[in-house]
Amino acid sequence: MFEINIALRNIKARRRQTTFSVIAVALSVAIIIVSMSMLTGFRENIIETTIENQAHIMVLPKENEDYISLYYGLEGFIREQEGVAAVSSYYKGNAAIQYRHNVEGAVLSGVRPVDEDRVLNVKKDMIAGEFESITRSGNRIILGSKLADKLEVGMDDTVTVSFPGSKPSDFKITGIIQRGTSADETLAYANLEQVQDFYGKSGIVTGIGIRVSDVYAVEPLADRIELETGYDAESWMEQSSEILNLLDTQKQFVFIFYLMIFAISGFSIANILTMIVMEKVGEIGMLLAMGTSRKSILGIFLLEAGILGIIGVIIGTVLGYVSCILLISYTIPVPPEMYFGLDHLPIRIAPKNFLTAGTFSMIINILAGINPARRASKMDPVEAIHSV
Amino acid sequence: MSKENIIQITDLTKVYGDGVKIKALDNVNLTIGRGEFMAIVGPSGSGKSTLLNMIGILDTPTSGTITLDRVDITKASEKERSKMRNQKLGFIFQYHHLLPDFNAVENVMMPLLINGIKPSNARAKAHTMLKEVGLGERVNHRPKQLSGGENQRVAIARALANSPDIVIGDELTGNLDSGTSEKIYELLRKLNREHDQTFILVTHDERMAEKTERIIRLVDGKITEDKST
Repeated sequence: MFEINIALRNIKARRRQTTFSVIAVALSVAIIIVSMSMLTGFRENIIETTIENQAHIMVLPKENEDYISLYYGLEGFIREQEGVAAVSSYYKGNAAIQYRHNVEGAVLSGVRPVDEDRVLNVKKDMIAGEFESITRSGNRIILGSKLADKLEVGMDDTVTVSFPGSKPSDFKITGIIQRGTSADETLAYANLEQVQDFYGKSGIVTGIGIRVSDVYAVEPLADRIELETGYDAESWMEQSSEILNLLDTQKQFVFIFYLMIFAISGFSIANILTMIVMEKVGEIGMLLAMGTSRKSILGIFLLEAGILGIIGVIIGTVLGYVSCILLISYTIPVPPEMYFGLDHLPIRIAPKNFLTAGTFSMIINILAGINPARRASKMDPVEAIHSV
Repeated sequence: MSKENIIQITDLTKVYGDGVKIKALDNVNLTIGRGEFMAIVGPSGSGKSTLLNMIGILDTPTSGTITLDRVDITKASEKERSKMRNQKLGFIFQYHHLLPDFNAVENVMMPLLINGIKPSNARAKAHTMLKEVGLGERVNHRPKQLSGGENQRVAIARALANSPDIVIGDELTGNLDSGTSEKIYELLRKLNREHDQTFILVTHDERMAEKTERIIRLVDGKITEDKST
């Protein structure tokens, strides 16, 4: 393989110029890796928050109906479906909560605590008391942290919950929950049966929340439930479709910028190769005279492009990785109102991004080598030899 | 001449140019025997280099045929032509065109490697060749570290590496002083006698041409003289 030998020597003999091309490739790869890691981090962060804070599928009443009656049967049917990890029926209604002279509006959710925790992981958000405490006898309630602040209440205080058409009832506060979202301002949890009684709606719920084992395979499951039960089943993807579409559109735009950055590094490879070919006209002529095939000459210069590219990609990958690590350790703050509630730049190191950036860079570097390599391989040996 | 013919040129014509046509070679007929040591002379533009490029399979004729070792090279494919250049021909040009980033022995190895010979065998052969041209002590020097004459010797060793039937030299002493030129000619003569290879040298230096066995004189693309010395 004398071609590899010649390619390597050509590169080694021009260490200074080739170093610049390698740096150009490395920087382009590193920049794109960091940028991709930010986008991935951003996307995953949004998805994570979404699937963490809401049920993966919400089964809602049929069209023109307000409630789901006979929900035990429906719950049983859903539990049997493949991919369903947990199911929680709930009754959600508006209510006013009063403590002394403070009155606040709230969304009162009647749940079975064990089921609700399986679907929404609520236990870990409890900052005071136990989530299961609402099942104990007597009226018990758990309030969102901000709602509790506004009412100026604490543990063991008793609040009055009222709703037009219902008899005002006293509930004892046995827990404070902080989910970290705007829901904390209106959230109130009580036991399902007590809430149903409070609204005078025994035996019916307003919805069923479902947690699935594979959050990305949620659509077919939702479709199946909808088709077989007639109830409206909305997946988290459907509920967050707007923001997900926005992210996809952004991805396409950013890809154009990636191509431009790669093109710049490609040009630097094309530049150095053109220079080498121009300097080596006589030697290329001699190699042809000695019987080197045109294919081999083409191979020599494509190899040079490949070698420069691969060194650049390796350095760029390491550089990109180190940059990501640094960006992760130095949390960079961003305004949350512009970034869907994120307060710092999210960075996710995903192998797929490294692979994509490296592969694209290599393809463009080899393409950049084609023109100079072809020019070298198409030389007329007589003209080339006598050009000096 | 009792020698077996290695080159047979029949009615060879080469015309250059699209508009104004220039006849570089005009119906040339020539037979060259194996092991001949000969010179092609003539003024600039007489067609001597063109003839040499035809024999070296670097250029194609407009009409006529050339047979090298009974193979008609005018009908050969690009691949066959490359293979023949590698195995049957050795080239020495006015400028040595050694690869500057490779040392002497690596440069001499190059045609052997192109021929697919194992690097260890190629290296051994290259060492032998460099010893033969008197550079046994300078095998690891790069072209930049060698004199003009030494580089031309490396080029000779490279031309002979694959033991070709024919060695062609185009003004190969054009860049050297007369003392060095003479030594190079003596070396070529010695190699010619030892290896029984055909040497065809193009030169405009009559004094050098006189040192060969046969002189072909070209004027305006025609052979005007063919004499044995």
